[in-house]
Amino acid sequence: MTEPQGSTRFVSIVVLLSLAMAVLVGRLAYLHLGGGNHIQATAAKTRTFKQTLTVPRGRILDGSPAEGILALNVGVKDIWVDPSLLIASNRVGTTLTCLAPLIPMDMVDVLPRMNKTNSQFAVIARYVSAEKADAVEKLKLPGVHMSDASIRSYPQNMMLCHVLGFANNEGVGSSGLELALEKYLKGSPGLIESRLDGHRREMVERRTQEIPSKSGADVVLTIDQQLQYMLEKSIDSAMERNRSKAAFAIMERVRTGEILALVSRPGFDPNKFRAATDPQKLNRAIGYVYEPGSTFKVTVIAAALNEGIVKPDQIFNTENGRWLYQGKVLRDYHSYGQLSVADILKKSSNIGAAKIAIMLGDVRMDRYLRSFGLGSKLGLDLPGEEGGILAQVQKWSPISSSRIAIGQGVAVTGLQMLGVLCAIANDGMLMKPYVVKEVIADDGTVLLRRQPQMISRPIRSDTAALMRRLLARVCEEGGTGTKARVDGFSVGGKTGTAQKPIAGHYSETDYMASFAGFLPADKPEIAMIVVFDEPQPLHTGGAVSAPVFGEVAEQAVRYLGITPTESVTPLSSAVSADGPGETF
Amino acid sequence: MIAKKNKKKGQAKFPVPIPLVAILLVSVGFALVYVCLHSRTETLGREIRGLEAARDRLRDQLVREQCEWAKMQSPSSLEQALKAHGLVMTWPGRDQIVRVRYGGALDTLHGYETRPTARVARNTRIVMND
Repeated sequence: MTEPQGSTRFVSIVVLLSLAMAVLVGRLAYLHLGGGNHIQATAAKTRTFKQTLTVPRGRILDGSPAEGILALNVGVKDIWVDPSLLIASNRVGTTLTCLAPLIPMDMVDVLPRMNKTNSQFAVIARYVSAEKADAVEKLKLPGVHMSDASIRSYPQNMMLCHVLGFANNEGVGSSGLELALEKYLKGSPGLIESRLDGHRREMVERRTQEIPSKSGADVVLTIDQQLQYMLEKSIDSAMERNRSKAAFAIMERVRTGEILALVSRPGFDPNKFRAATDPQKLNRAIGYVYEPGSTFKVTVIAAALNEGIVKPDQIFNTENGRWLYQGKVLRDYHSYGQLSVADILKKSSNIGAAKIAIMLGDVRMDRYLRSFGLGSKLGLDLPGEEGGILAQVQKWSPISSSRIAIGQGVAVTGLQMLGVLCAIANDGMLMKPYVVKEVIADDGTVLLRRQPQMISRPIRSDTAALMRRLLARVCEEGGTGTKARVDGFSVGGKTGTAQKPIAGHYSETDYMASFAGFLPADKPEIAMIVVFDEPQPLHTGGAVSAPVFGEVAEQAVRYLGITPTESVTPLSSAVSADGPGETF
Repeated sequence: MIAKKNKKKGQAKFPVPIPLVAILLVSVGFALVYVCLHSRTETLGREIRGLEAARDRLRDQLVREQCEWAKMQSPSSLEQALKAHGLVMTWPGRDQIVRVRYGGALDTLHGYETRPTARVARNTRIVMND
């Protein structure tokens, strides 16, 4: 009886175990053969590790031989705490007391975040420098953690702010070159796909994918920080001296169109871009249009000489400083009688320039002005460039040409006005201005290299040479630009003192004082424009802007190694009012 | 006399199949190799992780140093440093400048810059003392 009973029991157990085993095998098969995809996915997801490798933006370097760094990304730390842990261990106060002397914290903002019992994550300080973060780390405070972050740093602070612009805290270019060259600067982030171990550490040997990040390319500018500093320093000091509301200046290499320095004031510190106001962010050198005043006479006289309508020694009657034309009175700043074309430029006679413009005619004048790059953008590689205002010739009134000739009824940017002077200095060729010399990738590949590019040739080289000699006279004794002179160099240029149009009238108190010139006058290398907005009490271009030009040019020629030249070849024929010539 | 039955003689010997032993040995060998390789790769993984962290740390440090150096080299910092040490530097007068011409080709800035030695010369020049 015992044996059959034992046998039955044994069989039953085997059957039960087999059944249990079959169920387990079935479940296993179900899980492995696709029935439990969601479970597999969850498990895989838990163990999978994906990390996007952040990449620093490219650097921006200046065009000097030392290639000084103007912008770069710096590693910083975000400091965060685990409020639930701190509250549970009653360490909120102690932690804050320890951290407060080391990192800048806004207690009013931080305290409410730290009192969230259910939260395990509360940021208490962002973008903390590595030195401060190290000091915090040394405290080894429980519940205090750090994570890596990166910020855009501008080591030169305010210098070149309008050219560089700024990148926001997310690392996206928001203005200036940071915005314009975003595609080169941002680089491409990398990716790591791997598995995690039981302690949630990456198992490097299980990496399934590793795409290396590509750093942003370095941008090399044409701007030289030494020249930039010279110009900024002079502008700042002149602004203070002249109690000017705003100012801007540009220095350009005439043969190539390379911008060597560009200043706009008021400025801002790109490291604190949030604090900058809109007027501070405005790049006035390229984005502010103004009536240029007498500097504009250069275009009309160059056009008239190029057309052969006038000669330098041709005499014009400047009506003793008051001329009624088409029922409107035009005045000169100083009254003159008979002036040659050369002296009209030297003495800056409005009446003389207006008469030349009338002789030139509206259509031809319009053609020349547009050929000089006025009324449209020059195509600088910086965002925010304005094209100026030059009405269509069909819409000109009978007196338009006489007013445009003296820089009224027309608006230009500083860059456009400088372009006119550069074209004259460069044998009549108007070059496209640029600030980016080259873009070099992380591996040394040159992604972009700018070459000088001609936009137009408004005047012949002989006219340009003649204009250079006429403009050199402006800076000679008796001219309006004597304060722009540089010892050992001949300087060519033109002053401008323009009344500001306010509410449909020209102001009697607010002026735009400017000087645009180049040197050496016979073989020009650099050109510069300096403009002050509402300088007080001195308000003329000759008194306010020309000295800044002279001061900066004197240092610039030495820095650039430009050889001093003898004085320019004098005009062969008599050009004074006393000389022979037909009177107009 | 009845001979005593040798129980051991009657017991059948358990046959050890040689292929099974071979398979077991190979498996053990594979397992050992796997363990060794796994351990090695884990060590390498740790090393890689450590080196990557060190590389990132050094890269950050380099960038910080570059930033500091750029600040120190800036014209305004140099000027402040000169001021702090009571040094006054001015541009030399016209009569104090000696110009050494390169085959007479120094007439223009363009010529100056395209000289083969220009780059080197400009790099070695101390601007503030020029």
